[in-house]
Amino acid sequence: MRTKIILLLLASAVAASAALLLLRDRAISSPSARITRDGVLLEEIDLEQVMEPYSLLLQDERGSNTVLVEQGRIRISEADCPDQICVNQGYISDGTVPIVCLPHKLIIEIVGHKSGLDGGAG
Amino acid sequence: MKKRVVSAALALMMGASLLAGCEKQPEPVEFTTFAMDTVMSFTLYGDKEKCANARSIVGMTLSDYEAALSPTRENSDVFRVNQAEGQPVEVGISQLLERALELCTVTGGTLDITAYPAVKAWGFTTGEHRVPSPVELEELAGKIDCTAVKLAGNVATLPAGMELDLGAVAKGYVGDVLAGQIGLTSALLDLGQSTIVAVGSKPGGEPWRIGVRDPEGEDYFAVVELSDMAMGTSGGYQRYFEEDGVTYWHILDPETAAPARSGLTSVTVVSPSALVCDGLSTALFVMGLEEGTQFWRDHPELEFEAIFVTEDGKICRTAGLEGRFSLANGYEDREVTVLE
Repeated sequence: MRTKIILLLLASAVAASAALLLLRDRAISSPSARITRDGVLLEEIDLEQVMEPYSLLLQDERGSNTVLVEQGRIRISEADCPDQICVNQGYISDGTVPIVCLPHKLIIEIVGHKSGLDGGAG
Repeated sequence: MKKRVVSAALALMMGASLLAGCEKQPEPVEFTTFAMDTVMSFTLYGDKEKCANARSIVGMTLSDYEAALSPTRENSDVFRVNQAEGQPVEVGISQLLERALELCTVTGGTLDITAYPAVKAWGFTTGEHRVPSPVELEELAGKIDCTAVKLAGNVATLPAGMELDLGAVAKGYVGDVLAGQIGLTSALLDLGQSTIVAVGSKPGGEPWRIGVRDPEGEDYFAVVELSDMAMGTSGGYQRYFEEDGVTYWHILDPETAAPARSGLTSVTVVSPSALVCDGLSTALFVMGLEEGTQFWRDHPELEFEAIFVTEDGKICRTAGLEGRFSLANGYEDREVTVLE
């Protein structure tokens, strides 16, 4: 009888730690986009919770960027910066590399979603 | 007795799960900064004090080099040399100039640090792009000649009308400097995605895994594993503009002063030296696949390996990347030619 109780305890301990691990993984893998300008946080968006795509217009005296937000991914769809590098980069959906609009000092990075890569080149 | 065994098992399991918790990788110090006309990201591992020290070294080094290398900032070494109208100028960047000129020479001028007038004419410095006329291009190409740069000790002399642009080598050089100065054994220095320096390995001893961007899309087509190694990529997709249906990219062929069209869309170089990665990725892009492969065969002393992507989507890599190169998820069925 006692053995059974102990086994039951053992089983529940294993289940609890498994649940904890799962929860921890989920907490890590929910991707959020952080948009900063000059290092100041403008928006933080939980990309999993985006049901309908929408756009955000971000502007200051340096110019404007239109950000397209979709479920699980984000891009800059329009910008009045001269080089258009941020627009040309397209969507990002993980934390490997950020989108950067250098002339406007705007950065969009995804936190909480690692791709298995430590960085990206190119 | 049975009870004891079960309790012991229970204790063991709890102990094991605790240990598993401890084995989790330590948290890195991560920060991003605008410098040298790009965004740089740093991932530092080590104790708190060492990381704080490394972070301040990074900040100071970047601001020193930015002040010395910016072609637009008055009083920078590069600005003063460019404005000197042929007069000798004392500079603090003679070591960088010397190493860069060595690379220009060894690559037969496919890398050239005197292309600034051409880069400006195409509008790549301001983003106000234009296509220079054939006559103008010929004149610009005549002003690109790294052999005309004279360096004697700390004194650099450049003929009037010519201008230096160290954009193809500066980040690599600074990456090497930082790797040697930060005093850490595990760090990833991303100097704007085109230049990445892996200091040591990850804390668990695993290599750093770096994706290589597909020139045709938003994904990574390959993964390169780096330990104490740098990597640099030059691609036609990084900075470009389109006019009348033609794409003009920022990598210029010193011979024509026009965008290099060698049949390649991206070149990645892996080497212990970030300067070599940075400079050679540009040079190999200008050379093209065939000449670039021959250059790799002819220069084992430069200790580099390369990945080429051609305009028709062919992927080639040099043999020395065996065990460090793999195709990324979604690209497993792509053919890779191994260059021997």
